[in-house]
Amino acid sequence: MDSSAIWIVIALPILGFLVQSLGGGLIVKAVGEAKSKSILGFLAVAPIALAFIIGAMITTKVGAGPATVVTGPSWIQIAGFSIPFEWIVDPLSMTMVLIITGIGSLIHLYATGYMAKEKDYARFFTYLNLFIAAMLILVLGNNLALLFMGWEGVGLCSYLLIGFWYKDTANARAANKAFIVNRIGDWGLVLGLFLIVCVVLDVVPKETRLLSYDVILPALKTALVAKPALATSIGLLLFVGAAGKSAQFPLYVWLPDAMAGPTPVSALIHAATMVTSGVVLLNRMHVVFECSPVASVVVACVGAFTALYGALIAFGQTDIKKILAYSTVSQLGFMFIGCGVGAYWTGMFHVTTHAFFKALLFLGAGAVIHAMAHDQDVRNYGGLSKYLKITFATMLVGFLAIAGFPFLSGFFSKESILGAALSGNQAVIDGVNYGAICGWVGLAVAFLTAAYMTRMMLLTFGGKTERWRTIEPNHDAHGDHHGLDKDHKPHEVGATMWVPLAVLAVLSAVGGLVLNGKFEEWLYPQGLAVLPKVAEHASNLQMYSMIVAFGGMAFGAAIYWRGLPASQGWDETKWSSIRLAQRDQFGFDSLTTDLSVTGGAELSKFLDSTVEHTVTSGRALASATSGAGGVMKFLQTGFVRWYAMVMLIGVVAFIGYFALAIHGGAN
Amino acid sequence: MNGVPLAGYLGLALFMFSTGVVGVLVRRNPIVIFMCIELMLNAVNLTFVAFARYRVQALPDDPVLAQSQTMAGQMMVVFVMAVAAAEVAVGLGIIMAIYRLRHNIDIDDMNILKG
Amino acid sequence: MDALKITPELLLFGAAAGLAAIAAVGVVAFNNAIRSALCLVVNFFVLAFLYFTLNAEMLGVTQIVVYTGAIMVLFLFVIMLLNLGSPEALEEKRDWKRPAGLAIGALFFATIGSQILMPLMKITTVSSRDDFGGPQAIGRTLFSQYAFPFEAVSVLLLIGIVGSILLAKRRMS
Repeated sequence: MDSSAIWIVIALPILGFLVQSLGGGLIVKAVGEAKSKSILGFLAVAPIALAFIIGAMITTKVGAGPATVVTGPSWIQIAGFSIPFEWIVDPLSMTMVLIITGIGSLIHLYATGYMAKEKDYARFFTYLNLFIAAMLILVLGNNLALLFMGWEGVGLCSYLLIGFWYKDTANARAANKAFIVNRIGDWGLVLGLFLIVCVVLDVVPKETRLLSYDVILPALKTALVAKPALATSIGLLLFVGAAGKSAQFPLYVWLPDAMAGPTPVSALIHAATMVTSGVVLLNRMHVVFECSPVASVVVACVGAFTALYGALIAFGQTDIKKILAYSTVSQLGFMFIGCGVGAYWTGMFHVTTHAFFKALLFLGAGAVIHAMAHDQDVRNYGGLSKYLKITFATMLVGFLAIAGFPFLSGFFSKESILGAALSGNQAVIDGVNYGAICGWVGLAVAFLTAAYMTRMMLLTFGGKTERWRTIEPNHDAHGDHHGLDKDHKPHEVGATMWVPLAVLAVLSAVGGLVLNGKFEEWLYPQGLAVLPKVAEHASNLQMYSMIVAFGGMAFGAAIYWRGLPASQGWDETKWSSIRLAQRDQFGFDSLTTDLSVTGGAELSKFLDSTVEHTVTSGRALASATSGAGGVMKFLQTGFVRWYAMVMLIGVVAFIGYFALAIHGGAN
Repeated sequence: MNGVPLAGYLGLALFMFSTGVVGVLVRRNPIVIFMCIELMLNAVNLTFVAFARYRVQALPDDPVLAQSQTMAGQMMVVFVMAVAAAEVAVGLGIIMAIYRLRHNIDIDDMNILKG
Repeated sequence: MDALKITPELLLFGAAAGLAAIAAVGVVAFNNAIRSALCLVVNFFVLAFLYFTLNAEMLGVTQIVVYTGAIMVLFLFVIMLLNLGSPEALEEKRDWKRPAGLAIGALFFATIGSQILMPLMKITTVSSRDDFGGPQAIGRTLFSQYAFPFEAVSVLLLIGIVGSILLAKRRMS
């Protein structure tokens, strides 16, 4: 199919969004609440699935040559600057299109089952379709302005979906937190865009499309090769944007709270697609990072630290979705290590495999939560493999994939990142190979990943004790106990929910084997713009990877094989201090909250009590303005002709001034 | 017309405009004020047409741009006329409404245009 | 500056311009609104003539039809309806506003006139094509390049019609 069919790919989710938002209420009214759900569900899934098919047909035609740009009407057009609607069809964008629409349609299908008891069915799919549309604009836009449009669009949808159950204040607060933290990232991204426009304008002064990739990437290359400091500034600003969206330290704080949204949303937006857009941005703008070792080192080190930090925190979580959320933070750190050490394609490889297995794990967790009457605490689970056979089998595949079990997808993508980090030499400053350090940290994190995922799996599915039958009546202080009691019997989910699980399980299992080694050739056929390519293989790495994977799993199994240890049970006073610290994110979240929210409140109170009361509303300004007003009111007579005359006096004075000025200039 | 300077047309237009201004300032009758506004509008129209005819600057090479620059002045006059027609219709309607309300249209009696 | 050559065209223009100026003064000076309106008609007619001399035939015709035809008739109707024809209806007060207005008007004339009239005196040759003001040229431009403003103005006129009907209706039911 011709690449101009990309318009259809973008139009389909927008169409779905319009149908859901404008026609949803009508359909519900016409056929009744119960019947409408199958119609609305079909109308939500069909456009995404169709977009996936068309996207796949376009992808088969994408070759190694220069990227095809499909140009449409103009969006912003002012003198010397123009932004058209233009879409780039190249391996990077099409990879993301396939992930977004492919995983997206599976999760849509899953959501038709998961949200079946929900009243606001149409509203949910409105947001979800809008999200797909915005995400497609983000990855397909051929200029940074369209990327930014999609960037804000997905941010909006994320906000709306986190706060989907907005009647609960905690959810609304989580949505606000995500929105506000993302503003910090946007600040960096926008400043980066401004700087890019300035730099590009120096190189190609006649060009008007100052944000289009086909213009800026060569221009940036010429401009930045000799100016590493400028490249570092642009790179760091772009990285701030990427870190905000992709939940890197210290801007990760919104992602765990974002789990307040429905589980399909967590799977689609906060694991598989939106949070990877920072990696996409780094891949698009890789030329900037190639010119700046400092920015690359910062990306790699922040990535490594985030990976370690997220993995450590995951040990202290008891909410199954929070465990997965920190695992996502940690895996995103891996992707940034890959990008930081100059092996950008390994980041994309991990984006792809992570989309498979993390979506699978989230959807599986959703199935568990569904079966357990919406209780998310792993301490209340146990022995579920007996009841949820399909869920257990599929989640087991996802678990093995993320833990790095040999020849499953996570094993390959993680290994290519670590290999590039250990063998690469791009993230080097003053002879210190920060990339290699990050690689070793990554290996340690791989061990922790295997361990905490084992903990989650064993606490959920393993053991003989069905702990929800013996919940102490008053352990649940926050009171959202949804009727789990000793008679509760978990039920396996329906077909709409387990089919996506099965598909994703197959992808997680074989995805790595099929795609391994192909991404470099696929995304960067001509090699990097400035630097030589990075080798993906380090000696003995495969052996190390297997050792840490099995070691981590064994370590986790040794502790949790017999179920919940008493030192991690319901009674949190028995917890060790390190685990409490992990649960509280080492105090970082509460610290930032104190500093920003409480500190902001204190600051505004101070401003209110001193500045406001003395300067503005006190004597100084108020009396001055009211005094001036008292004088001026005599000018306001109410007579039209008086006004006309005043206006004309002004006109004559104005023209007279300019006449004299021109006259004086002529002499 | 050959031999007539551009300044002649502009001078007449300026005189008409100034006369209109004086009329707005000194007359009490809102209908006459209205007529003075029409006078000013027509003065501006005259400058548009005169400039379009005499055209001080050279035309650009691009034929589309040249066409648009040749016709721009007259187009503006067409739109000014259309807007003036709408304005007169509404304005006179307002005067009628005021008259019906107060049985008096002396503009100096209308002083509610203040805070 | 070269002295202006006295040509028949210049004399004709001078006569027309003088008539237009006198009529303009008449609009302001007559106390009687009907006389003002008739002076304005004369002024508009002369303007139409001047458009013809500028080869803007289409605009000249439009000027007669729209201004002298439609708009002035509307004015006369309203004057008649409100019975403002008699000179006593709105006697002008002789207060400070009259000299002040005249002074400002004169100042306005002087400021702009001193700046633009002298430098443009030299330009006496026309430089656009003679047929640039014909209906064909106007229509072609209006319906191609200016199609959107044209449609916008039609909407504006519609709003004007609705608005004046609303204002002129006796009362809202």
